Amino acid sequence: MSALPLAALEGAFAVSLNAYLYLAAVLFAIGFFGVLLRKNTLVIYMCLELMLVACTVALVAFSRYNGVLDGNVFVFFILTVAAAEVAVGLAIIVALFRRRQTVQVEELNVLKN
Amino acid sequence: MTIEQLQAAAASNTWSTIAPEIGLGVLALLLLVLEIVFPKKKHALIPTIAIIGQLGILLGLLINFSPAYLGSTSFNSLLQHSETGQYLRAFFLVCSILVSLLGVVALAKQRMPRIEFFHIVMVVTGAMMLLAQSANFLLLFVALETVTVGFYILVSYTRTNPLSLEAGLKYLVTGALSSALLLFGIVLLYGVAGNPAALGSTDNPMGYFGVRQFLAANPGDFLASVGIVLTLAGVAFKIGAVPFQIWIPDVYQGAPTPVTAFLAVASKTAGFAVLLGLVYVFQPYETLVVTTLSIMAGATILFGNLAALTQHNVKRLLGLSGVSHAGYLLLGVIATLSVPDAAGAVWFYLFAYLLASFAVFGVMTHVAGPNDAEQDLDHYADFAKKRPYLAGVLAIGLGSLAGIPPLAGFMGKLLVFMAAFKAGLYPLLAIAVVGVVISIYYYFGWMKAAYFSTWRPPLPEGEPEPAVPASTPVSFPMGLALGALAAASVVFGLYQGPFAAWLLSR
Repeated sequence: MSALPLAALEGAFAVSLNAYLYLAAVLFAIGFFGVLLRKNTLVIYMCLELMLVACTVALVAFSRYNGVLDGNVFVFFILTVAAAEVAVGLAIIVALFRRRQTVQVEELNVLKN
Repeated sequence: MTIEQLQAAAASNTWSTIAPEIGLGVLALLLLVLEIVFPKKKHALIPTIAIIGQLGILLGLLINFSPAYLGSTSFNSLLQHSETGQYLRAFFLVCSILVSLLGVVALAKQRMPRIEFFHIVMVVTGAMMLLAQSANFLLLFVALETVTVGFYILVSYTRTNPLSLEAGLKYLVTGALSSALLLFGIVLLYGVAGNPAALGSTDNPMGYFGVRQFLAANPGDFLASVGIVLTLAGVAFKIGAVPFQIWIPDVYQGAPTPVTAFLAVASKTAGFAVLLGLVYVFQPYETLVVTTLSIMAGATILFGNLAALTQHNVKRLLGLSGVSHAGYLLLGVIATLSVPDAAGAVWFYLFAYLLASFAVFGVMTHVAGPNDAEQDLDHYADFAKKRPYLAGVLAIGLGSLAGIPPLAGFMGKLLVFMAAFKAGLYPLLAIAVVGVVISIYYYFGWMKAAYFSTWRPPLPEGEPEPAVPASTPVSFPMGLALGALAAASVVFGLYQGPFAAWLLSR
């Protein structure tokens, strides 16, 4: 694959690869700590999606700067997987809410030592 | 990419190489069609068709065990075909058949739709078979997610039982978290390996071989190191290694018993298949990999055994003891970096683990009442008198899990520990031996509950006897399968012969 005309773009808006990676890392960290710290199952679920989006950002940036397309193709697979996960996950959350009338993690603690 | 390259890529799509997986997929869809076509009265036939169909696929795989495509890659090097891959295909199919057998027994106790269970089990099995042969991070991620999403549904399958749903939610959150960690690791490796300016950059940064080549040319790259640690953490979640084992006891307890067996054996084996592939890819960063895995292995063995000591629920007990088994297996994985036959030892250990685990879970499925999550050691009081056959199978299974000679579990532990000894992992070996000694206490506690009556304090006036669910009678095929598992545990303990020799030469 021929090199992309990045040099021409750099003068117009100089966003380096590192900037994208920092953004992805920050998004990933927000998602990760959100999963660990938040109490509402739905918010936890959104944080999980945020982590996948962070991966997507990094993937597209790498793909662009390395001049190969397979990273962009990978994004479609990630989106599909995320959609499947959401479909199953929300079904479980709804079924659980109908049994227990709550989605707060601190009240979902019947299984324990 | 030129036209010639695209043509070469298209020509490498040899569909016949994944015939067993396609067969499983077709069979899974056929079951759903049959459910619509058959009248309600004949629905009991469908699980039988599922099991016979899977036996047919297994037979076809064993007859054609060394096809011409072995040793080559297909689908533009997404898949790498090897004898180990063939062995794992057969391994997962055996798991799937046994889970289907257990599923028939367990689902009869619930008022639940039946057919979808077998459908999802087969789809998950097909994905695991692809996972074991993957040579590309893209396929690795997609196959692993197919397995994981399938397991979300299976774990929460008893949707009338809040415990099963709670287990499903816990598995969902931890599973999705681990997938995201794995994915971020893959993305970082892909990004650094594909950088055209870097030394040893590759035109296939998603392939295992390309990444290995890059890592060998760039020792000590920061982003690559972060990627390696994240990827290993994501896989550690799947095999349940400390510090990523938090989900294990809850999910094992809440899931229906056949699914617990599936998670314990097949999911763990799939995790180790992935881990062995990754350890090979990450070999240029040996110090980092060995340090990470050694810390995990030691902590896993100690935590699993100590936490299992106090458990009264047998499903939690098996879950935590499974954590310690993952620790012993990690020793074998670390040893593969320096000892060539260590991978074979890991496969033999997992085979012995399959025989013993399914024997124990088979007995548990028969003992369980309608509430699958509540299975206490107390339910096994006078078990040997009431059900001598099942008690015998249970004793052999537990003995093999504990590693008592002359059972297969002992040989598995011996082979793995010997490999670790040859690799010079002496401190970890010491921890492992201590772990094995601790494990004998809780496995024999369970046997004691089944074989010897224990004194219990008299109940206060007017309090009813705690109810013990009536155990189900054993059907002929199930009895045959359990007997075969127990017999195989004994036979492979006494004589490993060409089977172990073949595995160790992998």
